[in-house]
Amino acid sequence: MTDTNGAADRPAPKPERQRRQAPRWRRRLARNPLAIIGLGLISGFLVIVLFAPFIAPYMPQTQDLRTTYVPPGAGVSFRGPDGQAGIWVSPVQRSPVRGIEINDSVAYPVKLFQRGPAYEWLFGLVKSDLHLFGVDGPVRFHLLGTDEQGRDLFSRLVHGAWISLFIGLISVGIGLGIGAPVGAISAFMGGWVDMTVQRVVDTLLAFPGILLAIVLVATFGTGLTNLMIAVGIAAIPIYARIIRGSVLSIRNREFVEAAGALGRRRMGTLFKHVIPNALAPLIVQSSLQMAIAILFAAGLGFLGLGAKPPQPEWGLMLARGREYLAVAPHVATFPGVAIILVVLGFNLLGDALRDALDPRK
Amino acid sequence: MTQYTLRRLLVALPSLLGVLIIVFLMVRLAPGDPAQLLAGEFADAATVERIRERFGLNDSMLVQFQRFITGVAQGDLGRSTRTNRPVTTELIDFFPNTVELALASIIFALVVGIGLGILSALKSNTWIDALSMILALIGVSMPTFWFGLLAIRFFAVEMPLFPVAGRGTFSHLVLPAITLGLSSTGIIARMTRSALLEVLGQDYVRTARAKGGTPRSIVFKHALRNALVPVLTVGGLEFGSLLAGAVITETVFTWPGVGRMLVTSVLSRDYPVVQGTVLLIAVAFILVNLLVDLIYGLIDPRIRYD
Repeated sequence: MTDTNGAADRPAPKPERQRRQAPRWRRRLARNPLAIIGLGLISGFLVIVLFAPFIAPYMPQTQDLRTTYVPPGAGVSFRGPDGQAGIWVSPVQRSPVRGIEINDSVAYPVKLFQRGPAYEWLFGLVKSDLHLFGVDGPVRFHLLGTDEQGRDLFSRLVHGAWISLFIGLISVGIGLGIGAPVGAISAFMGGWVDMTVQRVVDTLLAFPGILLAIVLVATFGTGLTNLMIAVGIAAIPIYARIIRGSVLSIRNREFVEAAGALGRRRMGTLFKHVIPNALAPLIVQSSLQMAIAILFAAGLGFLGLGAKPPQPEWGLMLARGREYLAVAPHVATFPGVAIILVVLGFNLLGDALRDALDPRK
Repeated sequence: MTQYTLRRLLVALPSLLGVLIIVFLMVRLAPGDPAQLLAGEFADAATVERIRERFGLNDSMLVQFQRFITGVAQGDLGRSTRTNRPVTTELIDFFPNTVELALASIIFALVVGIGLGILSALKSNTWIDALSMILALIGVSMPTFWFGLLAIRFFAVEMPLFPVAGRGTFSHLVLPAITLGLSSTGIIARMTRSALLEVLGQDYVRTARAKGGTPRSIVFKHALRNALVPVLTVGGLEFGSLLAGAVITETVFTWPGVGRMLVTSVLSRDYPVVQGTVLLIAVAFILVNLLVDLIYGLIDPRIRYD
């Protein structure tokens, strides 16, 4: 009797299958060049989030009204005053009458590991003023130019990266944490529970795309926190629907029946045996959901329903850039490129995971 | 088929009811006094009281909901707190513009997406295939409003081929339609490619080849017809999403549709208009999906109605 109970507690067919399958999907993933590109983009994004104040040469909110709308590369040369190689920066200023003026007579070198504005990082754990790069001299180096208040666009993009990551993670977290269990229980229980849950899911899915997030933001108010929750709630029905499909296909398999026959309680069977085997589509969806959430959030930020100025949220930065499209197109261009790269990374990874985890292949 | 249609209609009903409940609750769950919300931010106390009276906000929720549904059924969605016009009139004025934009976008997405998908499938595993699929994926990954802004910059400001914003002639429609349709184009292209590749591997296509059919006739006479069934379904569903996706595109191009109206009314807390617009878009989405399901059944006789 103790033996059989032990067998029920051990997730019977799973460990063996995973031991055989895990290397295979990982091998498939490693062989797929698109997966590598996706992983590379995501890793780059994570590095930027983790080391933002170090990577960014300036603080995101530091203004300089003498250097508004400096285009990328203005005042930058690749030869020093005495012909030395390297990156050199000359002072740039915007005159209200004559536009951008570059003072060619002086140039200062851009160096790695420069001291710059002091920052606190990781909730005050790290205090430093060391930056990845900076100018050795009294000028500022604007890699991607500046915005309407003379703020360094590159620094703002780097400092704003965590917002996109957070939005994606919260959305996936809410989807996985609420949508998946609800969908799984609904499918596993069947009957009126399933019927009721599915009608609620249907209703939420009746709000196409971004509309549900807008409804929630309209109800509970605009702002970054509400936006994150809204995008997360919009993910719930998608997760519930996806896991329902896989649970339905698994719940009548022999090993589930075996767990029941061995006396495991229904919920125990669901969480110990069924859900672990239904995870593949959820993993795929989570990568794609990161992409969707980042796009939604940027869209809502663009519409003015998300982050508020001066937060360096990418969608909001794009919206500000829109007003100066004719004068300074770079202000709207680079946040868009950043969004594309990150979203593309998660989409590529999601696609590759789908291929790698597909048992039919 | 009739039975299927009826059953499908019945399934759509709870969704409709759910949408009504959510739209009804929006004002009640929002922080603050619903009467104040419906009257608008700057309404005086007397107006707020009048609104409270008129909407019976002191009655029980159930009574209020019943009254709300009756109102919706009679086409009474209240008045805009901003323009003081009936919400229904506003929607009737602006919704056709959104449909026009979404239709143009879906046509663009179907033509380009299917074309790209066919090209990709026929040249599968070549650089043409890789390039089209990367393009498709970028289309899916791109923030539409960013593309819209770039399109305005290049094709309306630097090279004034199209108007910057607004609605009117066909050339007004071009940039917004492409912008809105871009992500659908990517989805449709990817769908077409995988569907066509799957069909091309099937026995009856091999038979057609064995009979000596030319590659062109095999693809266009045999394979494509079957491959396009799921593609058209996705296209239909995409059309529904475009109605909502128009929210952003309309804002970029100041297109006078319900999407832009929704954003303006959310920002100015014009709740009656928000409710009406959300209701309209969601109901339209449900109806489009319903229609797509029914058409799917019609064009693919293999679908069983049980």
